[in-house]
Amino acid sequence: MMSLSSNRAEPSPGYGRRSISAGLFAAAALCSIITPAAAAEDDKRGGIIRYGHYQEPPCLYAGWVQAGYIQRQYADNLVARTHDGQIVPWLATDWSISEDNLTYVFKIKPGVTFHDGTVLDAKAIVTNFERWLSNDPDKVNRNGKLYIGEYIRSVTAPEPLTLKIELARPYQPFLTVLSTYFFGILSPTALERGPKELCEHPVGSGPFAVETWNHGQNVILKRNPNYNSAPATAKHQGPAYVDGIVWKFLKDSTVRYGSLVAGESDAIYDIPAVDWADAQKRFKVIQDITGGTPTRLQLNTARPPFDDVRVRRAFAYVAERRKAVEVSFQGSIPFNANGALSISTPEHLKDLADSYPYDPDRANRLLDDAGWTARSRDGIRTKDGKRLTVRLLYAGGSLITPDGVSVLQILQDQARSAGFDIVLKPIPQADWFAGKGRGIDDYEAQPAYWVASSAEILKISWRPDQNGVINANNASRFQPPELWTLIEEADRTFDDKVRLRLYEDAQRVIVDNAAVVGLFPLTVSIASQPKLKDIWISSRVSEPVFHDAYFEK
Amino acid sequence: MTSTSDLISDRPVLPVQLLRRLADVVAVIRSVPVSVYLAAAIIMLYILAAVTPELLQSHAPFRTDLRATLQPPSFAHLLGTDQSGRDLYSRVVEGTRQSLAIGLGATALSTTLALILGVSAGLAGRVVDGVISRLLEVLFAFPNLFLGLLLIAVFEATTTTLIFAVGVGTAPGYARMVRGQFLAVKGAGYVEAARALGHPYWRIVLRHIFPNAMRPLVAMITLGFGQSIVWASSLAFLGLGVAPPSPEWGALLDAGRQFVTRAWWLEVMPGLAIIVFALSVTVIGRHLQQRLEGRVRVL
Repeated sequence: MMSLSSNRAEPSPGYGRRSISAGLFAAAALCSIITPAAAAEDDKRGGIIRYGHYQEPPCLYAGWVQAGYIQRQYADNLVARTHDGQIVPWLATDWSISEDNLTYVFKIKPGVTFHDGTVLDAKAIVTNFERWLSNDPDKVNRNGKLYIGEYIRSVTAPEPLTLKIELARPYQPFLTVLSTYFFGILSPTALERGPKELCEHPVGSGPFAVETWNHGQNVILKRNPNYNSAPATAKHQGPAYVDGIVWKFLKDSTVRYGSLVAGESDAIYDIPAVDWADAQKRFKVIQDITGGTPTRLQLNTARPPFDDVRVRRAFAYVAERRKAVEVSFQGSIPFNANGALSISTPEHLKDLADSYPYDPDRANRLLDDAGWTARSRDGIRTKDGKRLTVRLLYAGGSLITPDGVSVLQILQDQARSAGFDIVLKPIPQADWFAGKGRGIDDYEAQPAYWVASSAEILKISWRPDQNGVINANNASRFQPPELWTLIEEADRTFDDKVRLRLYEDAQRVIVDNAAVVGLFPLTVSIASQPKLKDIWISSRVSEPVFHDAYFEK
Repeated sequence: MTSTSDLISDRPVLPVQLLRRLADVVAVIRSVPVSVYLAAAIIMLYILAAVTPELLQSHAPFRTDLRATLQPPSFAHLLGTDQSGRDLYSRVVEGTRQSLAIGLGATALSTTLALILGVSAGLAGRVVDGVISRLLEVLFAFPNLFLGLLLIAVFEATTTTLIFAVGVGTAPGYARMVRGQFLAVKGAGYVEAARALGHPYWRIVLRHIFPNAMRPLVAMITLGFGQSIVWASSLAFLGLGVAPPSPEWGALLDAGRQFVTRAWWLEVMPGLAIIVFALSVTVIGRHLQQRLEGRVRVL
């Protein structure tokens, strides 16, 4: 067993360090006690943040990233991850990893309690792990299990404040994964109340406690006056400055931005593209480009016409995707050509940043080569009497914003000139997450994103079907054995350079085969009133953080 | 009044008579207000747009132009362009067919439902009337578009669903009016007289009750047509309409909503298209209503 304090040496942007010593954490905590003057701290106290968000999640716990944003306010994680990829303390003040990378021993911060008074110790964390990995559909944390389920051999609490995790095989992104919102630690007492209560009223140990969820309107979050477990990434230790947050759901972008302009909101999420320039002048704007996969078109490689790589490539060449993104988002969101990873993901391969530029001639040649030579009267290509139709399903108004829909409409028009008939089919949010109407024969393309800190997302997106179980997250149905071999090898490789090369090779396989066509990354943008200070976004999963926020007096 | 058979008879017509008839026609034409002619002309234009949109369009309605996005109205683009650089005027014209089809379909459906329910309630006796009336009262307890929203929640939002949603949603109102008309006419003196003369019931219904009860409904249906289009647009505006990039008027309003502070034409122009059409239909409907009620001399 080696100590991890010695392992935090040189920073390596984009790669999770194994540890950081308790010293840094203690120093940060100490600094917050002795400086600056307590009086200045008092000046920051008070007020309620009226925050206008966009999407309302179906549950306040785990699942979709929209729940994660709220979970970041009420729950703490075992570890945190800095913007440049270092793993730093949170509930775990220190940890060590065995030489074989199979055993992790964490020291848990003493004196932490959940909002309901339950003590947060190693045993409570064990209970959380047990639930995440449970086979009981009412208990399991599906996304959590997807990431770590296959690796965990045992999770135990040998001492009240010592947590021991043994892995069945090495998994390099383990700590990175534990730092994301899927793995927020909740009160075991509250967990026992069943899934409905867990969704409605989750109880964590974070800076704010969930008081009420008024469906369709808001979530009321109340300040936790006993908060003493802020991560090392926080700007201050101790309780939040403000008394609470009214987390409003304002789906209509005009209404949302209008509420900020009218002073009815102190901060809003997702600034509409049309108001982007105006917001820069009038408000404080912060933005984070989310890691993981960008919004990209997943082409169904298991069905015609996209079972032919030439047709997939033609589809990628056929539209001015860069220009479409620039025009639709009016500069508020960048273009993301490499559909395998978001441009902010540390392992994103820049060589693929210009893949499949607009080239209608090449698209037409590829389609001719693929045998789609005849045209129907309305100009759509046909082959053996079948039209070159692409049913494009998308979660309009939830995963795909109105600006994103504009990009799809531009693609639809431009692809038509090369003979593609794109049929846009919006799917309501609830149906989308229930998988309704999204069977593997129901579509040719689906745009979607998946939030993650780094390239560990590739495992989720590209895991092949196993033992007859279809991986619904691999909407491209693209599963060549060599791709899975590369990803699995990367995930168990601890040499940063070698791992990076493996992830890059995996991206090449994905992009060269045009299994996905990149569009734009998910971004989190927040515009706030000038008097509201120190909201920040936890990169790379882009969770808004209100713990440090305060109103300037 | 002159019948058609008189006009085509072989009997020689004296110039004086001809002149008198011509004067009659002129008088009727003059009795119709200019606004009705204007409304009729506008509706003809809309019908033309629905039948052959390409005759009126200046651009291809689905053609995007990434170099001319969000352009205000100009000579190049009469009603401006949208976020993707599509010509708004050509899209409004293109959307006419779908919008009118939804309005027409919904009105036909609601009228059919209203006739079935209303006629049954009005003519089939107290028990049936009681059941149908209670049913209509229950339906009235919900907001007008509740049934429509329910249908859209259950089925996919397509043109057909929208027609059903609006048609079913507005039917109870018409049904109650139909019932009232039939009950009123049923008790009229001429129906009593026909009954006293020993005419069979079916004949009384067909010859006397039905035509007299339906007369005011013709105007109501005309008014309802314009209203249906407004309802359908409202649903589409709420995001419950047909899928993009359909230029159905309500869908255009929905798409333009987020630009309301920066590109006013995306909301105002499709809105005007709806208002002008609905107003024109209303003018015609009101005029028909007045004529059928005998307040204006009928040809």
